[in-house]
Amino acid sequence: MTSVLASAQGGTRADDVVLDVRDLRTYFHVMDGTVRAVDGVDFQIRRSGRLALVGESGCGKSVTALTIMRLIDQPPGEIASGEVWFDGRDLLTLPADQMRAVRGGEIAMIFQEPMTSLNPVLTVGDQIGEAVKLHQHLRDREAFEAAVQALRDVGVPAPERRVKQYPHELSGGMRQRVMIAMALSCRPKLLIADEPTTALDVTIQRQILELIKEIQERTGTALLLITHDLGVVAETVDEVVVMYAGRIVETGTVEEVLLEPRHPYTRGLLSSIPSRGKRGQRLSVIKGVVPNPFRMPPGCKFEPRCPYAWETSVQGEPTCAQNEPELLSLGDGRASRCWLHDPRFTGRLRDYERPTAGAEEAR
Amino acid sequence: MSGPDGGAAGGGPGEAGNGVPIVEIEDLKTYFPIRTGILRRLAGYVRAVDGVSFEIRRGEVFGLVGESGCGKTTLGRTLLRLQRPTGGVARLEGRNVLEFRGRDLRKMRRRMQIIFQDPVGSLNPRMPVSDIIGEGLLAQADVENRWGERKVRDKRVGDYLEEVGLRRDYARRYPHEFSGGQRQRIGIARALALDPEFIFADEPVSALDVSIQSQILNLLLDLRDRHDLTYLFVAHNLSVIQYISDRVGVMYLGKLVELSPVAELYANPRHPYTIALLSAVPDPDPRVRKKRIVLTGDVPSPAAPPPGCRFHTRCWLREQLGDPEECATIDPPFREIGGGHRVACHFAERIREEVSTAAVIGVEEPPGVPGGADPISQAS
Repeated sequence: MTSVLASAQGGTRADDVVLDVRDLRTYFHVMDGTVRAVDGVDFQIRRSGRLALVGESGCGKSVTALTIMRLIDQPPGEIASGEVWFDGRDLLTLPADQMRAVRGGEIAMIFQEPMTSLNPVLTVGDQIGEAVKLHQHLRDREAFEAAVQALRDVGVPAPERRVKQYPHELSGGMRQRVMIAMALSCRPKLLIADEPTTALDVTIQRQILELIKEIQERTGTALLLITHDLGVVAETVDEVVVMYAGRIVETGTVEEVLLEPRHPYTRGLLSSIPSRGKRGQRLSVIKGVVPNPFRMPPGCKFEPRCPYAWETSVQGEPTCAQNEPELLSLGDGRASRCWLHDPRFTGRLRDYERPTAGAEEAR
Repeated sequence: MSGPDGGAAGGGPGEAGNGVPIVEIEDLKTYFPIRTGILRRLAGYVRAVDGVSFEIRRGEVFGLVGESGCGKTTLGRTLLRLQRPTGGVARLEGRNVLEFRGRDLRKMRRRMQIIFQDPVGSLNPRMPVSDIIGEGLLAQADVENRWGERKVRDKRVGDYLEEVGLRRDYARRYPHEFSGGQRQRIGIARALALDPEFIFADEPVSALDVSIQSQILNLLLDLRDRHDLTYLFVAHNLSVIQYISDRVGVMYLGKLVELSPVAELYANPRHPYTIALLSAVPDPDPRVRKKRIVLTGDVPSPAAPPPGCRFHTRCWLREQLGDPEECATIDPPFREIGGGHRVACHFAERIREEVSTAAVIGVEEPPGVPGGADPISQAS
């Protein structure tokens, strides 16, 4: 692996890295074969840093998060390789009881669907209280007060009344606030938010995004955001990791990735978003669909859909269809998994970097 | 899978129809009774659609936006007679569809079709695609179209599968064999096979990934041009609505609050709710800094909508104007303010243009200027 992101060999390199994921592979063994949901993922989040895992459904972004939390059912799942360094410990080798202390205590997670992730037969206060009792060893009375305070912190009006209510009595936005209150009640060092606003309406999404940003800045917790929405990415995080078919295809800062995408997939994704200025034109399209996980293409996983893929007749030269590129470092923490960035193909890269209007019109 | 490339290539959204209304809706109301207790006593109504009037012009895409529970889907379903109306009139080319019975009703169904949001739930998993698409044909069969004959029907099913960019032989397969985007194409073929004039597209791309979403949007626009369709396009994604619509209506709690040609609405919104809605949309361009207007609280219950203007409980403009009384007492009329732009707000003229521009379009900062999101030092 020449991945730039895995460059820190041996122990957590510096104090400022809170999460260091290395060569993570999570497979699922099912009846039809093996699905390599996550297949060699490396990234780091700095203390108080904000990073987004971006990609479409099935790209492995949620499985990555669940693997970090060790919430993968084994079997059918299998964490085939990798290390998850969190505060000097490899979470993947941690004994179960210590992992329980990390989960919900030092690393908290909020999910997409606030209704199904809350327990319908317990009050909101009981559920927040459960976390603080477990992790901070508070007594009932203290836990209740901690729950009221946690709700107040996330902007729930009349927290003394809300704390005694059941999830079905709350609106979707209010439930998501409760989830966030619960996640933050133990002052985690890392907050994993898996599509936290996808199920919400746009004005409620705005409230929740503002809340997450405000809390992140106030408490200094690191944020791992998982989303498919590039708009949410643009305003919530500093660094972006783009995933496709279980692999990282591009990394960089949010400005770099969203304004100057280097990988053809990222570029296709960005240009297929309907937005102002595109009215009256056909939308550019990424042709085809994501590959069948049981029949992954042998070379680059994006090759069947890539408008820039090429064939070569030169002996010994790699081809997109047959040889999978590595995540090539482009300096400054940027990386892209594409043959275009191989020094042998600078000519092609030049063409790619000055796209003609029609070049993206892949239909 | 690419969309079929027809004669009307490059068919982006054109200009708003030819001005002739195909559908006219007047004071449409759809209420759902709330029943409580074991005696199912009537306790009130959820006013899902509560007095909506507008027209859809032939050939246009009329976009309807609003948050969940605002009544946009119920409105469309009432129009198609999939939901019993409580009051009002809905005309299809001059005839009130809400009064159709028997044969007339069945004939009308052929002319007005629906595309559903959920490409999984809307296709019967036990039916092959040929039956899913063929079912409607069979129901509408007559001596003229001979859709009652298996051969004729199967040919038509195959034709329309090709029309939406799928292979003819997919007719034998079952829904689970398809991806989300393909299933949505099947749903479109099902609607299209009946040769409708008007299609109610109910969140047709909301369940799809971005890259598939753009394929379906292109397809819908191609089909509009090839088959002279008119769409009522419901979505909560404001970028999708902006891209596809000719005119847009914004709904809040069962009522239309604003209606305008699309460019005007997105550049110069006049209702405080629309402005807040547009300002809330996250922009994928990290340089864009919008002046966010964050609405407080949740949408009130449509079973007990606030008196006066329904938006007044969350309205930022009312707050800025010092809580004028009429907001809480008088339901603002849906009035024309010029250029086909209608708005239901007492104080629409009091909104300063800078305010709406900063909130809706945002300020683009040139790259490299400090003040953009922190450039983080990657190296170490």
